[in-house]
Amino acid sequence: MARGGGGGCCPPMDLMRSEAMQLVQVIIPTESAHLTVSYLGELGLLQLKDLNADKSPFQRTYAAQIKRCGEMARKLRFFKEQMSKAGISTSAQLTEISLDFDDLEIKLGELEAELAEVNANNEKLKRTYNELLEYSTVLQKAGEFFYSAQRSAAAQQREMEANQSGESSLESPLLEQDTLTDASKQVKLGSLSGLVPKEKAMAFERILFRATRGNIFLRQESVDEPVTDPVSGEKVAKNAFVIFYSGDRAKAKILKICDAFNANRYPFPEDVARQLHAVQEVSAKISELKATIDMGLAHRDNILKNIASEFENWNRLANKEKIIYHTLNMLSVDVTKKCLVGEGWSPVFATTQIQDALQRATLDSKSQVGSIFQVLNTTESPPTYFQTNKFTSAFQEIVDAYGIAKYQEANPGVFTIVTFPFLFAVMFGDWGHGICILVSTLYLIIREKKFASQKLGDIMEMMFGGRYVIIMMALFSIYTGLIYNEFFSVPFELFGKSAYACRDPSCGDAATEGLLKVRRTYPFGVDPVWHGSRSELPFLNSLKMKMSILLGVAQMNLGIVISYFNAKFFRNSVNVWYQFIPQLIFLNSLFGYLSMLIIIKWSTGAKADLYHTMIYMFLSPTDELGENQLFPGQKTVQLVLLLLALVSVPWMLIPKPFFLKMEHERRHQGQQYAMLQSTDDSVVAEMGHHNGSNHHEEFEFSEVFVHQLIHTIEFVLGAVSNTASYLRLWALSLAHSELSSVFYDKVLLLAFGYNNILIRIAGITIFICATVGVLLVMETLSAFLHALRLHWVEFQNKFYEGDGYKFAPFSFALISEEED
Amino acid sequence: MGFWVTTLIFLLAGFVASLFSLLCCNRGPSTNLFHLTLVITATVCCWMMWAIVYLAQLKPLINPILSGE
Repeated sequence: MARGGGGGCCPPMDLMRSEAMQLVQVIIPTESAHLTVSYLGELGLLQLKDLNADKSPFQRTYAAQIKRCGEMARKLRFFKEQMSKAGISTSAQLTEISLDFDDLEIKLGELEAELAEVNANNEKLKRTYNELLEYSTVLQKAGEFFYSAQRSAAAQQREMEANQSGESSLESPLLEQDTLTDASKQVKLGSLSGLVPKEKAMAFERILFRATRGNIFLRQESVDEPVTDPVSGEKVAKNAFVIFYSGDRAKAKILKICDAFNANRYPFPEDVARQLHAVQEVSAKISELKATIDMGLAHRDNILKNIASEFENWNRLANKEKIIYHTLNMLSVDVTKKCLVGEGWSPVFATTQIQDALQRATLDSKSQVGSIFQVLNTTESPPTYFQTNKFTSAFQEIVDAYGIAKYQEANPGVFTIVTFPFLFAVMFGDWGHGICILVSTLYLIIREKKFASQKLGDIMEMMFGGRYVIIMMALFSIYTGLIYNEFFSVPFELFGKSAYACRDPSCGDAATEGLLKVRRTYPFGVDPVWHGSRSELPFLNSLKMKMSILLGVAQMNLGIVISYFNAKFFRNSVNVWYQFIPQLIFLNSLFGYLSMLIIIKWSTGAKADLYHTMIYMFLSPTDELGENQLFPGQKTVQLVLLLLALVSVPWMLIPKPFFLKMEHERRHQGQQYAMLQSTDDSVVAEMGHHNGSNHHEEFEFSEVFVHQLIHTIEFVLGAVSNTASYLRLWALSLAHSELSSVFYDKVLLLAFGYNNILIRIAGITIFICATVGVLLVMETLSAFLHALRLHWVEFQNKFYEGDGYKFAPFSFALISEEED
Repeated sequence: MGFWVTTLIFLLAGFVASLFSLLCCNRGPSTNLFHLTLVITATVCCWMMWAIVYLAQLKPLINPILSGE
């Protein structure tokens, strides 16, 4: 039990302290280990340590199983790719799986083999089909010009032979023999036909003529539509060609050139009857193959549909198995090889649930030996775990983004739930704008279930995740809007009449001397008469600056008070007496006093200048206050407060390091146990905190002193700069109010000043766009960021260390969320 | 005088809200204390906001000077 008890000063409160955590050890029999880890993953309340961190992935116990999981994942990815090619989508329903790991592996292997075979068969059939289509095209095209080409070729051949005969005419006795030779050559004329890519046709023709020295006749014609190439499967524009040649040597050359140019050749019968027969034969084969291909595709689609219906289940099971084996690899193997030992953190409240899961795994796996669950003692700092719900999780995320709380230190999230949207509203206050944000956020909340199961964009995801923060911001904005009395910058007399009236019935002085307050104070919020008056800005600026100081000092005091509860909880009385108390004295003797002066000035209507009062409190504390005096005895009070502030600085600087040093020396000298038992626990805790463990490490007094010096300087200077930082509440509020007024007066009222319907419509449109784009979007982000800053720095640095680490349990639900 | 009356109204509102959260959202002492803390924090914030503006207008040092037209 790691400091789970804590101090008993306060009753427990949800979200204030992180859950009590314990380091547990689980000893699991090997035969039930898989099922045990599976059940623990579903439970999601155990953060396992990696006891084999020094081993490489291949040295781990279950490396082989993880490889098998990887292979299954590859097969599943193959199936997914095939399904997307075929346009088949997976069904989203998730059902209970009756298949186990080994059966799934076998089934996936079989399906992959079958699918690969079907694909290969389809590929072959498709290629043959495309070849036959090409053949059909050749038959059709070549038939059109074969005979004319043949006659031209024969004529050319005879002409060449005539030339040759002319040469031999000198030998008159051989004339009859020459005629016989001509007939023999004519019989040997051969032909080739096929298709060649159109882009290569010219080069093809040129090369052929050169290779055969012009002893061929070539005829080409363009094919009307692109042809599917059997090899590449792509559509290619091609020419049909016929080549007439003589001699085997020419034929060999022509064949090589056809191969080089990817010209597919097809046999072309010379006889007309045989041509017709070939055409019929090819058509019949094409029809037959088409039917066969369609059957093959249907068969493949059938396989893929069967896979699709189970794919999500298989995918989930494969992922789960992979996660289980990765987790099993974090356990160390007992020397007997019969048990696995795991260590990890779990919340104390989860002890019963974990033990139940272990027992259930033992029963379900029929293991003869049960798992052992025991709690270990440790000085390690446990992880931090806050149980949140859908409302509080967003606020906790805001705090965690700054830093994860140290184990069981006070959680600023509790107060952030209210103060964060409140400070936002102080800057954003306008109840018209607040209503707009409220309506849009209510839409998100009402459609909560629908949006939760959808895939949203980045911005929409953030807005949906923060919907409860935004609705709180909207509600508080409506409230502060009523206080500021602004509805799209327009004031209303909602709570009664203005307290101001003219000095005399003629109202002559209203524009020079101004109105007089003749009635009781406007009961709720800013008096509506200020809006539009020439003294509006001086009044509101003064009001809002003082408001910023008051709210800032209040929140900083809250932070210091929380540091008291932290010190109390950890039984650290050194921090109570030498951190909390001097900090409280310092802050309130200066800035708390300033806040009190503000209230006194408002209550009495005094004309004192607080700025100079504070300045001269330091510069000349013994001088008379004169006109800046607000109450009797003020000089004495200021002197006392100044002395208190001066005393508190060494108070928070000097004693703590010496106390730590004394305690270290006492422990180091080996005082008797009787004396040690009476030692203050807080000092021991402080020592442990600084050194990180109770080992006998060196105590560096100079380091501790410098550390404390830095903290003290940071607090003292921080008190000044943080108070000034809260003035951003005034600045943002002023900016929002002025922008809103400009849009209202210069856009809407100006447009309605004209008696033109088009100008008025344009004015309304511009007003709406400016209001939404600038005020509802940009100003919201701006005020959000500044409220965030005031919480992270001005509030949390008073008490929050934030150097813990988050509880990251082994959980299938979390892992599947991350993968999505 | 109006200040103390409205402060009393805020206290009553805070009290009613606390009772409401106790009765309608009763989920054990730890959660109830959490809800109570939220209600008290919200009440104090709203009261402070109102009180600051009210006190600032109690005895004003400057008067609203209307725009001359």
